Amino acid sequence: MHKYVLKRIVLMIFTFFVITTICFILIKMLPLPTIKAMGRDAKLIEERRKMMGYDKPIMVQYLRYWKFLLQGNMGLGEQMYSSREVSEVMFTKLPYTVVVNLYSILIAIPLGLMFGIYAALRKNKWQDHVISTMVMFFISVPSYVYAFLVQYFLCYKTGWFPLTAATREQTTFFSWTMFHSMVPAIISLGFGTVAGLTRFTRAELSEVLTGDYLLLARTKGLTRSQAIVRHAMRNAMVPILPMILGEFVGILGGSFVIESIFGIPGIGSLFIQSINLRDYNFFMADTVFYTLVSLAAGLVIDLSYGFIDPRIKMGAR
Amino acid sequence: MNFKKILALVLAVAMVLTAVGCTGNNTSSAPESKAPESSAVESVAESSAEESQPEEVVDPAVEYPSFNVGEITTNIAPAGGGEVNYNAYKGVAGKDYTDEKVYTHNEYMSGNQNMNWNPLQWETNSDSYILDYIQSVFYDFVLNEDLDGWAIIPEMAAELPVDVTAEYVGKFGVAEGDTAKAWRIKLNENITWQNGEAITADDFIYSYQQLLDPAQKNRRADSLYAGDFRIAGAKEYFYAGQTSYTDTEGSVALADLTAGEDGQYVDSNGNKYYIGFAFPLAQTGGDTLKDYIDAYGDTYFDLENVEALTALMDDNGLIPLTDENLALFAPVTTKNPAWNETEADLPNYFVVAESFEEGNWDNVGVVKVDDYTIDFITALPTENPNYYVPYNLSVYLVYKPMYEELKTFTDGAFTTTYGTTVETTMGFGPYKLDYFELDKQITFTRNENWYGYSDGKHEGMYQTDIISCAVIEAQATALLAFEKGELDEVNLVAQDMAKYASSQYIRYTPQSYTTKLTFNSDETALAARGTQILGNLNFRKAFSLAIDRSTFAASYTAAGSAGYGMLNYMYVYDPFTGASYRDSDVAKAVLCDVYGITYGPDGDYDDIDEAYDAITGYDLEQAKELMELAYKQCKADGTYNDQNVEITLSVYSSDDTYVQMFNFLNDALKSACEGTGFEGKVSLKMVADADYYETMYSGNTDIIFSTWGGAAYSPFTLLYECYCDAADGSGNQMEYGFDSTKVEVTINVDGKDMTYSLQDWARWMDNQVDVPMVETEGMQPFASYDAATRCAVFAKCEYVYLSNFVNTPMYYRNVGSLVSQKGDYAVDTYLDLVGFGGIRYFTYEYDDEAWTAQMGNLVY
Repeated sequence: MHKYVLKRIVLMIFTFFVITTICFILIKMLPLPTIKAMGRDAKLIEERRKMMGYDKPIMVQYLRYWKFLLQGNMGLGEQMYSSREVSEVMFTKLPYTVVVNLYSILIAIPLGLMFGIYAALRKNKWQDHVISTMVMFFISVPSYVYAFLVQYFLCYKTGWFPLTAATREQTTFFSWTMFHSMVPAIISLGFGTVAGLTRFTRAELSEVLTGDYLLLARTKGLTRSQAIVRHAMRNAMVPILPMILGEFVGILGGSFVIESIFGIPGIGSLFIQSINLRDYNFFMADTVFYTLVSLAAGLVIDLSYGFIDPRIKMGAR
Repeated sequence: MNFKKILALVLAVAMVLTAVGCTGNNTSSAPESKAPESSAVESVAESSAEESQPEEVVDPAVEYPSFNVGEITTNIAPAGGGEVNYNAYKGVAGKDYTDEKVYTHNEYMSGNQNMNWNPLQWETNSDSYILDYIQSVFYDFVLNEDLDGWAIIPEMAAELPVDVTAEYVGKFGVAEGDTAKAWRIKLNENITWQNGEAITADDFIYSYQQLLDPAQKNRRADSLYAGDFRIAGAKEYFYAGQTSYTDTEGSVALADLTAGEDGQYVDSNGNKYYIGFAFPLAQTGGDTLKDYIDAYGDTYFDLENVEALTALMDDNGLIPLTDENLALFAPVTTKNPAWNETEADLPNYFVVAESFEEGNWDNVGVVKVDDYTIDFITALPTENPNYYVPYNLSVYLVYKPMYEELKTFTDGAFTTTYGTTVETTMGFGPYKLDYFELDKQITFTRNENWYGYSDGKHEGMYQTDIISCAVIEAQATALLAFEKGELDEVNLVAQDMAKYASSQYIRYTPQSYTTKLTFNSDETALAARGTQILGNLNFRKAFSLAIDRSTFAASYTAAGSAGYGMLNYMYVYDPFTGASYRDSDVAKAVLCDVYGITYGPDGDYDDIDEAYDAITGYDLEQAKELMELAYKQCKADGTYNDQNVEITLSVYSSDDTYVQMFNFLNDALKSACEGTGFEGKVSLKMVADADYYETMYSGNTDIIFSTWGGAAYSPFTLLYECYCDAADGSGNQMEYGFDSTKVEVTINVDGKDMTYSLQDWARWMDNQVDVPMVETEGMQPFASYDAATRCAVFAKCEYVYLSNFVNTPMYYRNVGSLVSQKGDYAVDTYLDLVGFGGIRYFTYEYDDEAWTAQMGNLVY
């Protein structure tokens, strides 16, 4: 096991190196926006870009980038958040994204599991049909549609919740005030997760419930509940748990639309904007961050199989 | 059986008849694969028509028509420029900073990627938003006492600027007899930082030194050496020890230069000249000539001397411009006819080197006279100084202890966190930054140490205690927050207008921006996509006339109004009177002429005002006539051969609004083509491209929406700076391929015809002095003339520019916004320079407590 983990970590480092290298080369192949400035000194912008090393050969820039990265310096923004440190911007915004998504999945996962199990147990009965119809609806409709509806009815019409998330001036991240202010966003984000998990859980559990070993368990004298909890759920969770872990990884990604609607200053828009605006440092910082997170998550998910089902041996031939 | 035979026979006959019928159809509408047959049929038909009718003669298309635009009479501007109003509005007694209740102004901004309010580095409106509250200025433009314009009041200055040019004769380039080049500013002795420490002349000197520090490369440094108010010696200090190489773009001929002792040519300033061999040049589209030579070899060039020239080249790809080197160079580009250049084109490869000596602050025109007096010495005299000195004198002030602590150099790169958090901010304005959370919240509170709250000169002002600005990206969210009473102002979008257009709480803020359709007219670039028809002037004009701008503006903008000219109503040609260029008779006449509206005894309208009001820019009949003419011209010159053409319209994204705008324009184009040879064959194609500006700058699209604006009080520089500087996308001009050096314009100036290119006229209006009007005709620099003269010259050139239809103005931008019933600005109508009066004069009907009590119960 330890050998397997070590091997995976070495491979992770290699993969990380390859991805960041490719991304660095690709983004540098996109030219910086042309300097157009009425009545201003275009040469000054060129000089500032030179100061950031953008005029140097790409290999020199690449080595320079690694040198700074290993020192924990991700550089300064040029096209976005001009002259601000990239890492400072990212880590200022990241907590908002993490908190709202964390709340969302902590609520969505039990609900998704509950509806999925219930639908599987009531398969092809009216309860199952109602849940399946709702699932299809919530999977098909984009989250921003719920977001506007939630905002209009729960925030504007009834006034139960504020229109936008609270600030850190008013409260801390893990306070009731912050949670209360984020409820509309949490609900909007949660619909999709609940629906997805419900559908997946129902499908997996339905399949397991028809297994011969479950019939054997019942004939051994286990009650239906005991058979489901001890045998069916355990087997069904093998594919479900990685999906849940994947949701946790996804909380770092953020949602540009939901964040913009509910005034959450998260990182949902950073990546795409860094490409559109061609801010090299922001793009690379995003790439490094998400690559690391995804690789680590992949490893954790793989290892989780072994914990869920001891029959699955990681690294065994 | 017989029946079957008969039936078979009938069916066979029917099949034959059907086949014959089909053959006939094929002849009349042959598919593309039958093109030769189809051509033959059409050819016969045309021959028949030719026999019975006289041959129609089509005037060939003219790419760059010449213009003779009439006469102007010039007048030199009077000294000082004019009278300035110094009588400011006093505000409402009691509704000011002395009011003991608490008033919060709740504002919002949409998300912005820039938030750096370092006074030496700020870039965007969001950055300056913070600075506007936490800084004061030397002189402020505020509402005048009649509430119909502006007045100037000293703030950080104690009195008005004094011309002390005579004291600097022999220094900073000031010559005997010069005036308006040195200005003495006496500082207000009560000004302090927000921490209560006094601000003196030393703080200013330190800050200006930091601003111009070559090692820091501060983004605002060029404010001191570019533009109209250039500080003497500032650029030399900033570029100290460096040599700057600039492509002359053919503007300097060999005859303008003299050979130095080493044989290298220099100009009158001693700047050395080079041949740009491996140096990016406009002549080679931003690439180097060496790149072309390496790529195409003897297909286009004579290679005999290339090796020798390469050996002469320095690290910058430059070869000293000497007679010998030029003799070696000339055959490379002129000997091979395929490159199609002669010796007259050689200056396009000249590069000038401008060297700056080691910096010495004593040569920079910012001088401390005493602790509370500073002199600013400019490189050029300031025209109309009563207005322009207060207008142009900006404050760049940083708090030395904090600035020194925060500045760092990493691997040669300067960085500072000054002005990025509350802790790294030191203001000196009426408010101080109290809370800042990136992309979330900005809060200002009253700066109790601001001199204005104790000098007795600001009574009746600044009733606002707290300014709370939320960052809300989604406009729909902001509107809901406004309706709930959480915001005191909100911008509206097009779909909101149906509900709020008639609200008494709506305010319209005009902007200086005119949005246009910009056309690519470059023959080669268009040919690459098969859209050469766009290069035809009549085609572009026809398309323009087919667009109903009023409907467009009403349908797709919140508060935009139909646009017809290069400049909108925001542009003021006479700062002393505030007279709008667009409202002047000469400017109105321009648009009447461009859009074919006549007035006077023989015209359709009695006077110019009626005619101007009647302009719609929409004339479908004329559009069709021009489109047919364009069709014939394109057929005649071979740029169109009845094929289908899709003209690319590149837009930022494919969201609904852009799709609707595209559909509108596509319908307009198709309408113009109806009944012409282009009918059914020409259409638009929408491409979503976030880099559409860049795409146009490289000539890789046909049409984009483009917008230029700003500098509403300096309208005349805009023609060169934005519309005529470079046809190849290397400048600001977006109209790719439009070569303004080829547009001949004749203006009769004081009885003398002067014919120069549109670009030359534009450069003169850009206050450049190396133009033939000054050098050959002996005219004064453009800024020396009075407002009426300048307005008249600009109008002539605007007419010429618009008549080329390389872009089509679509709408003038305005912002519609709602202001809450909590309070109101001093005036309801937007006024130049002072808007609605700003936070200075904002007064309240409700304090915070009363407002909370009624929240959400008011109707707009």
